[in-house]
Amino acid sequence: MEFAIETHGLTKRFGARTALDGIDLQVPRGSAFGFLGPNGAGKTTIIRTLLGLTAANAGTMEVLGYPVPHQGAQALRRVGAIVEEPRFHPNLTGRENLRIVAAVRGPETRALIEPALDRVGLADRAGNKVKSYSMGMRQRLGVARCLLADPLLLILDEPTNGLDPGGIQEFREMIRAMVEQEGRTVFVSSHLLDEVEKTCDAAAIVDRGKVIVQGSIAELAQGGGVRNELILGVDDVELALTTLGASELVSDAHRSDEGLRVELTGEPQTASEVNATLVRAGVGVTRLEPVRHSLEQRFLEVTSRLDAAPTGDDASSGVADEEQVRA
Amino acid sequence: MSAVAPTAPTASAPSPPRQSDSSLTVAAQMFGADFLKLRRKRGIMIWALVLAVAPILIFFLVSAIQHASEPLKYGPHGIEGYGPAGGVKNFSDGLRVVTLFFGPLAAILIGVEAGTGDASAGVFRDLVVTGRSRLALFASRVPAALAICWIVIIAAFALLLAGSFIFASNLPTPGGALILNSLGFALLGTGVLCVIAVGLASLTTSKPAAIIVMIAWQVVASPLLASISSLGSSRRAILSQAIAHFSPVHVGEGGHGASVTMGEGTALLVVVVWVAVFLALGAWRTRTMDA
Repeated sequence: MEFAIETHGLTKRFGARTALDGIDLQVPRGSAFGFLGPNGAGKTTIIRTLLGLTAANAGTMEVLGYPVPHQGAQALRRVGAIVEEPRFHPNLTGRENLRIVAAVRGPETRALIEPALDRVGLADRAGNKVKSYSMGMRQRLGVARCLLADPLLLILDEPTNGLDPGGIQEFREMIRAMVEQEGRTVFVSSHLLDEVEKTCDAAAIVDRGKVIVQGSIAELAQGGGVRNELILGVDDVELALTTLGASELVSDAHRSDEGLRVELTGEPQTASEVNATLVRAGVGVTRLEPVRHSLEQRFLEVTSRLDAAPTGDDASSGVADEEQVRA
Repeated sequence: MSAVAPTAPTASAPSPPRQSDSSLTVAAQMFGADFLKLRRKRGIMIWALVLAVAPILIFFLVSAIQHASEPLKYGPHGIEGYGPAGGVKNFSDGLRVVTLFFGPLAAILIGVEAGTGDASAGVFRDLVVTGRSRLALFASRVPAALAICWIVIIAAFALLLAGSFIFASNLPTPGGALILNSLGFALLGTGVLCVIAVGLASLTTSKPAAIIVMIAWQVVASPLLASISSLGSSRRAILSQAIAHFSPVHVGEGGHGASVTMGEGTALLVVVVWVAVFLALGAWRTRTMDA
């Protein structure tokens, strides 16, 4: 598999504070990849490091196959990025701001300005000064600026900040179109789980400068392996637990707030066989519901586990080793 | 925002040639971009023009009013020794105002804005992520700042020249050689300060700090140090003294207008060292700072 971004042991310190602690990250090409983490987890720092805005203290990085920072210039030619909020010269128009970046990128880039403005729906307002733009318009202009690179890789740091629900939906559609129709790789950093779950194919969860887990959205939600679980409502809990404990269809069954939580050994379709087994044993089944694993659940699980650890760094390192899941 | 537009660039489409283009074309475009950024900074442009032009206007206006109201007192051979507002003498006085007093303030404003503009607007990182070398980003600021600075100074100089002729009355007017030398002196004096301001502002990345340091050095510290004779020949390192050495009109006691005597070569060397040191510091900071 080819990777748009690959890092090994990436470390960044600010004085005594370790912002990135040996990050190993692999972002497959042609995917939308979410980089999830709570505020202060190190999301923006890794983006800044990848883009050469700040230097790493240790580790290696490759962007679009080029080692960074040694061949950073070659790598960045086909990278578009919005770091934190998109910033512009407020006294210049949107078009003039793009003209400035186009001048820096190279003479041919100027031809991409109008298509980029059209693409983000700003062609009509491109002659207005940026200081009159709303946050949403600035986000769009930021994307237009990214498109001047004709990017193979887009790096977007909290891209939906300040957007209204309609704008967020349009943004999601645009990201999916970039990935599915144009073959670009989009790396989205966010603390909004729902956004990543709906937009991305794969994700990494980062906390306190460490990648805790990474993989496809489905894998992440299920906790690193495929877990088919059911919630059962029964009229005789003890008999049900005994019956399920003896069944080869079930690897685990226990009480929960919602009812009996049952983990299947096989495919989800075996739920009907579990039901039949219980009925044959004389247990009345009042409810049978497959568990839908959400990324939010998983996110809270791994980050709260870190919070419970006695010494953050050592403990989280163990978790990271244990839970590393490759996409 | 439209999800997909037919004209949008796509990753699968042939990529336009990138940054392998003629470095001259790129340099010209980057100069144009930096020039545009400065030109559209309305506040800076207005203040720079006011600082460079207004003193000359006031200078001529006051002299003309005095001459008109009391021709005997402010006449060619008046009691106060002042003639009409124009002529060579007033041209020389005006040149000092443009080159050594108010022109430098305009040059500092423009240079500092050029040095800090990208960082203070928060767009420096967006320029860095284009992959263009940081040194190139720094280098393009210098000619753009100089161009804007010199446009302002030339406007002030043109006003000075016009006033010198219009209000000359029966006094001798500046000759061609003096005019050209004076223009060169004005451009040199303000240009050097403008370039140093770009370097210092890029080093500090703080507009207020750079402006205060530059003005304090130029207006307060330099004349003070130059007046301390016990400092001896070390005063030759003072930039304003070296610049004044190139003045075509008499503005001080050290020959060519400086209060510290030095040879032409020494003066040139001092100017070059000041410019080189601050350019190097600004370039170093731009290359190494976190964006």
